[in-house]
Amino acid sequence: MKMPEIKLPKPSAITAKLKEAAKLFPDPRDVKLPKNGEELKKAAHDFWYGKPHEERRLGDLYVDKTGLYKHREWRGVKDTFYYFHMIWLYNYANMVADIMKFGGLGIFAKGLWRYRWMGQTYLPVLHWFDRGLEGMRGEALRASAWHYRAMVCVSINQFMNMFKADAKLHNGAHNEAWKHSMAHKETVWGGVFYPWSDQYTNIPMEMIPYFVTCHVNNHTVLNYIDAVQSLGLPGDPCPMCQAEAGLFVLDDMPDYAPFVVTTNEACDGSVASTAIQDWFLNIPLFALPQPMQFDDPLVQEHCANEIRELWKFIEEQTGAPFNWEQLKKKLEAQNELQRFEWEKWDVAAKTSSYPINGVAQALYRIYQTQYGDHYIWHDTDRRVKKILYKCVEKKIDTFPKTRHRVIAWSCAPLYYSHWCTWAYNCWGLNTIINMDSLMFDMEVRTDTLDNCVMDMARYHEWAPMRRMAVGGLHHIFELWDYMERFNCDMVMMYDQLQCKGMQGVVGLFEDEFRKRNIHAIWMPHALPDKRTVSRSEIRRIINDYMSTVMKEEPLDPTLLEFDDDMSW
Amino acid sequence: MRKIRKEKKSCSGCRLLRVLCKLFAFLAAVYGILFTVFFFDLDGKLLFYVVEPFLVKHYDKMERRNPLDMPYDIKK
Repeated sequence: MKMPEIKLPKPSAITAKLKEAAKLFPDPRDVKLPKNGEELKKAAHDFWYGKPHEERRLGDLYVDKTGLYKHREWRGVKDTFYYFHMIWLYNYANMVADIMKFGGLGIFAKGLWRYRWMGQTYLPVLHWFDRGLEGMRGEALRASAWHYRAMVCVSINQFMNMFKADAKLHNGAHNEAWKHSMAHKETVWGGVFYPWSDQYTNIPMEMIPYFVTCHVNNHTVLNYIDAVQSLGLPGDPCPMCQAEAGLFVLDDMPDYAPFVVTTNEACDGSVASTAIQDWFLNIPLFALPQPMQFDDPLVQEHCANEIRELWKFIEEQTGAPFNWEQLKKKLEAQNELQRFEWEKWDVAAKTSSYPINGVAQALYRIYQTQYGDHYIWHDTDRRVKKILYKCVEKKIDTFPKTRHRVIAWSCAPLYYSHWCTWAYNCWGLNTIINMDSLMFDMEVRTDTLDNCVMDMARYHEWAPMRRMAVGGLHHIFELWDYMERFNCDMVMMYDQLQCKGMQGVVGLFEDEFRKRNIHAIWMPHALPDKRTVSRSEIRRIINDYMSTVMKEEPLDPTLLEFDDDMSW
Repeated sequence: MRKIRKEKKSCSGCRLLRVLCKLFAFLAAVYGILFTVFFFDLDGKLLFYVVEPFLVKHYDKMERRNPLDMPYDIKK
């Protein structure tokens, strides 16, 4: 009998593999031992308190191309162990707890196996924390991390609700959860469904499969963009609408509700993707438009009537009556969130003690206001309030290396929402506020139904990308007022290359920046698609401006250039 | 008798101490392993090099319904 031949790899191949693997870890030869007492004292100080900002060399921590870390950052004993216990361990544990609470491991595993946007995206979520919180210390680290935790909890809640109701995961059966779910486009404000929120769950269709995935793992969305282009769609329409349509082309949208509510927000691209959704979903649909020229009072009245029509449609579909008391209760809870947001803005505008970094501020705010009321927002705000008050009372300078106070304007690159963390670490550019945070700047009256609906119409009209970006010239130029209000001296001007609306005002902005002598950096991007303008290209543009126009030196030169093209 | 009782007592005390020591050593080892995973980003490396490529292969191979087969009836 002949023994099977076992092919052993050549020793040189093994050595090469080991050398490759060694690059994933820090090189022990880079460790410099202290030579004298002075150096020993300095090393002990750095170990205990963390290195000073200028000596951190954060760029040296990256594994080439991947954005992974050879080792995570040593932030001093207190902050490293805070990160380990209260961010890394706490969030992994709470992710499991949330999954158990919102439906269990079984249905989670089924969903993970069935949907690409689920499996590919939500497992590396702790790396999303890492990217956004790089270099953060003390209260800024704590407050920003609580915002991330809230977003993770709401995301888990949403996808578990989808999976529990999804007929595709239940052999085509329409269970009770399916009958008690309401589907809508992510750009429809969740608040219009409040009257039924004690019995029915509203779940935005694309918020989890598209919007959140772009931030956490930007590889996923490319499949959906390519899918819709494979049908012949040219590459230049808004990539958000392309990706949303692509989810349906690849049959990656759960079948979780008996009817759907759509909208035209942000633009006619959304109307086109709605046509595809209507085709592939094949369920009753209500189109709730968001007017472009919303300053006209007659338009607002029209919009209020559209909301009333929607409520009639929901009553017809569900058989459940409109519940005014439930609507009031939820709106009052949401107003409470808004009042705390105003407190946060006051601190951000008037002090240097605001403990929330640019990316946490932007994502938490847009998520909270668009999705609507949820218990975790209140939990988070309670925790952040304590930190905020502490910072103000003790006059803690939360971002001590701030050289410029930046306002970010227009629509942000979803695949590089954490650019502001990099910009602070590298150049001391502290992003104080951004356009999307300022959208829903209002409370909703709950004294009478008429007042309430009129305010809800206004809120609905002030949606992301509508209030300023595609809502008329007057509103996009509110930038100058907000710059003054938030005491900012620099603008990060997002340039969404595939947004025809915003491309139309580039020249007007250029003129105004020159006339007002404002330092503004144009940041080109293609919303979710990193292939058009890469992250490193964005960094190069900022580096060029800071060194040639501002004539400044980087705080951390290792962050100037690095390759993270393959990173999440 | 007294002596024996005393010995018994001290033995059970020792046993408890030994169990506590073992528990402490076990928890310390778990803590040490978790901190190593955290500090050297081993969770990230596992997900990037093993889990994601495996799942991507699975999703690429999946049979999917072709929604384009559905007729688009605008009159309904």
